[in-house]
Amino acid sequence: MKMKRNLQYILIAVCFLMVTACEKDLSSYIAYDSYTFSGVDATGGSWKPVLISSGSEIQIDAPSDVNSSAYAEEIANVKLAIKSATESQLENVKYWTNNPINRWNEIALELIAKYNLIPGPNADGTYTLPNPSNPDGPPAFPFAHPPYAVRALAYLSVAQFDALISAWHYKYLYNRTAPYKKDSEIEFAYKDNDIPAYPSDAAVLANVSKEILSAMFPLEKAYLEQRAQEHLESILLAGGNVNSDIEAGKKIGSYVAAKALSRAATDGMKSAQTPKPVSDSIKAKAMERFGWAWENKELPARPVGLTPLFGKVKMWNVANVEDTRPIPPPGINSEELKKDIEVLKDYAANVTTERRRIANFWQDGLGTYTPAGHWNRFAKEFIIQYAMNPLRSARTYAYLNMAMMDGGISCWDAKYYYHYPRPINLIPGFKTIAGTPNFPSYTSGHSVFSSAGAEILAYVFPNEATKVRDWAKEAAISRVYGGIHWTFDATVGTQQGIDVANYTLTVARNDGAQ
Amino acid sequence: MFTTKIITQKHIKARIPLERFCSTTCLRFSLMVLLFFCFSLQTKAQTPNDAIMMDKRDACVLLAYTYGTFDQYWEGGNQRENQTIATVERQTILGMAAIGITKKLDFYVGLPYVKTKSYEPNGGYFAGANGLQDVLVGLKYQLINAQSSVGTFSILPSATFSTPVSKYLSDYQPYSLGLGTTEIASRLMANYKLDKGLYTTIGAAYLWRGYTEAERDYYYNNGSFYTNTMDVPSAWNFEALIGSWLFQNKLRLELNYSAIRSLSGDDIRAYNAPQPTNKVEMDRVGAFAQYYFNPQGGFGIVASYNTVFRGRNAPKMTSLNLGITYQFGY
Repeated sequence: MKMKRNLQYILIAVCFLMVTACEKDLSSYIAYDSYTFSGVDATGGSWKPVLISSGSEIQIDAPSDVNSSAYAEEIANVKLAIKSATESQLENVKYWTNNPINRWNEIALELIAKYNLIPGPNADGTYTLPNPSNPDGPPAFPFAHPPYAVRALAYLSVAQFDALISAWHYKYLYNRTAPYKKDSEIEFAYKDNDIPAYPSDAAVLANVSKEILSAMFPLEKAYLEQRAQEHLESILLAGGNVNSDIEAGKKIGSYVAAKALSRAATDGMKSAQTPKPVSDSIKAKAMERFGWAWENKELPARPVGLTPLFGKVKMWNVANVEDTRPIPPPGINSEELKKDIEVLKDYAANVTTERRRIANFWQDGLGTYTPAGHWNRFAKEFIIQYAMNPLRSARTYAYLNMAMMDGGISCWDAKYYYHYPRPINLIPGFKTIAGTPNFPSYTSGHSVFSSAGAEILAYVFPNEATKVRDWAKEAAISRVYGGIHWTFDATVGTQQGIDVANYTLTVARNDGAQ
Repeated sequence: MFTTKIITQKHIKARIPLERFCSTTCLRFSLMVLLFFCFSLQTKAQTPNDAIMMDKRDACVLLAYTYGTFDQYWEGGNQRENQTIATVERQTILGMAAIGITKKLDFYVGLPYVKTKSYEPNGGYFAGANGLQDVLVGLKYQLINAQSSVGTFSILPSATFSTPVSKYLSDYQPYSLGLGTTEIASRLMANYKLDKGLYTTIGAAYLWRGYTEAERDYYYNNGSFYTNTMDVPSAWNFEALIGSWLFQNKLRLELNYSAIRSLSGDDIRAYNAPQPTNKVEMDRVGAFAQYYFNPQGGFGIVASYNTVFRGRNAPKMTSLNLGITYQFGY
């Protein structure tokens, strides 16, 4: 009987262990607190913006004097708001931090991952494309594939950058101090800094980001509005701005967003996804020129590859995409290709733990934030590590995403100009551990996006240059390990990304920032 | 009513316990392993889930092969096919042993080898996967055994633990070998058996599942996750079966139903791959037969067929299982 009782205890103990086994807290955004900026960039208002002519293009009136009764009333409102703030409102203050551009970048990445779903076939074997004039679908608009994603990020970051240049211009023009410096009863929620409060840089970001992302993700309008309201509310509660700081910031944000979106409306993206006859003629031209053409092997076959005319989209810093077109790939009967077929077969037959890890780590495929999103994430981590202020951060994201978008355009130009087959097109019975995308092979998008991104990060964070360039090379070869790219797609693509990034670097080196 | 009574070793020695344990436990285990494929569905380690105890110093080994396929699955609640993966095939070879430690306590250990791939042609050209899956160890205890003039009622709690033994990638569905996580299952079964051979069992188990490691450090699960750790939803498992022993306890036939209900998780997104975080639901029916050449021990054969008829984020898997058992004293 004693034995029996012991066994019962053991069983009860096991049950208990099961129920109480530890639960982990999995992070859904990067955890960082407000930090002291490594510099304030007091002359940032004179930097050269991308879309607007200068920081003073938009007119922002002089604010009320900090000794005026109007300002005193604003201060009183800040105090009142802080006094009645709820627990969750104060948590929001902590979440947004004093460099909220990282949060808006995270929101963008999350929407990309949410919408990065390739439309499946209809019951009759046809495919329906997402339609911006009927965003509900099905399929929902957009399909946030890598070209769509990098473009959304570029417009977001460029608009943020220009808007913050304008904000900086007026901050240092009017030099209005922050409420917590004027009134010692107000406690600043973030680390102290000497950046003037008018207009609020955070409010600039809330509006510009909300408006760009609402255009890129029309079904998320209400969600983005709610996030922006939550953000704007947190600005006041942080004690660093009064309401007129916030209103002036919103005005700048909306102005620049409109400017960015008007460029986006006519940049050629609308016609990037072509009808079948156009796609067929692009393919026929490649066949005529080179004697080969890539084919979609899905079941049922997709009639058109992904955005055949993305290569014609307006670039940011390259005048003519053909200037960045790489050399032709090896001929279809060349020794070089034969050798590479053996390399691919060998990787497929010997999937090592390390190669598999690399293939998966950099895959950034359907349902994720795409390669461009991955590099934005790296940028965010460095921005925090190097304690950048919001303007510096915006500059980093802007050049990063312009270079990657230009890289993507250049890559797509090569993809559809050369129309080179994928490994599964040329190797009978070939199997892959990564999903083969719906566009030609040469050059590898991951390689171009990554090396273009790495060059910008190497320029902005010289201490990290070796690391980020190594990452870019690993991202490039990961596609070969995955079985979906040739070695030369990766190596030539890496060089192509470096070449394209140089155009953006020239602009960056001459924008007035040190 | 029933009178509780300790059954002596002699009582059980003769026939029922050994054989039945062997068949039911091993087989049910392998069924779970194989049939509920890893599309999130795995219940690989759901075991000591029959109502029969091993005798002390008796052991039983099982070698079973399962062939399962599906060409439809539920994406959320939407049943669909997908030519990217076409028909997915899942083969499993399971080795398992059960050992009677005392007459009321059994120990189990099992290890499956799994191989997956898609039929040709398919539109995805994905490589399948193969390798050792999860090792399982478990204990089953006979808490109540009450006999009446016509039959026996018993209550049996069990606990099992399983964990991956190879570095297979759980985040490679639908080809991944398993969920890639530790699972602790606590189960309670109630069985009633008529002396004439007819019996029925119902059982419920809580499957605590831990975390699995992906090879990417970002994924979407109704929002961003900046980590390579994925939370595999814990689940309830329910079972009911009815069966009978025939031909002097040489043959047994059984019909069974089992269900899985994840307690959390996300839906598979449109035309997207499943992932270990998915909320899985599944209802399955099956038939099972076993035959013993000699009720006193030695070789036996087992066979079963199962099909999933309802699900959520689960494959509509149909499986056939064949195995041989060998039991002996030690």
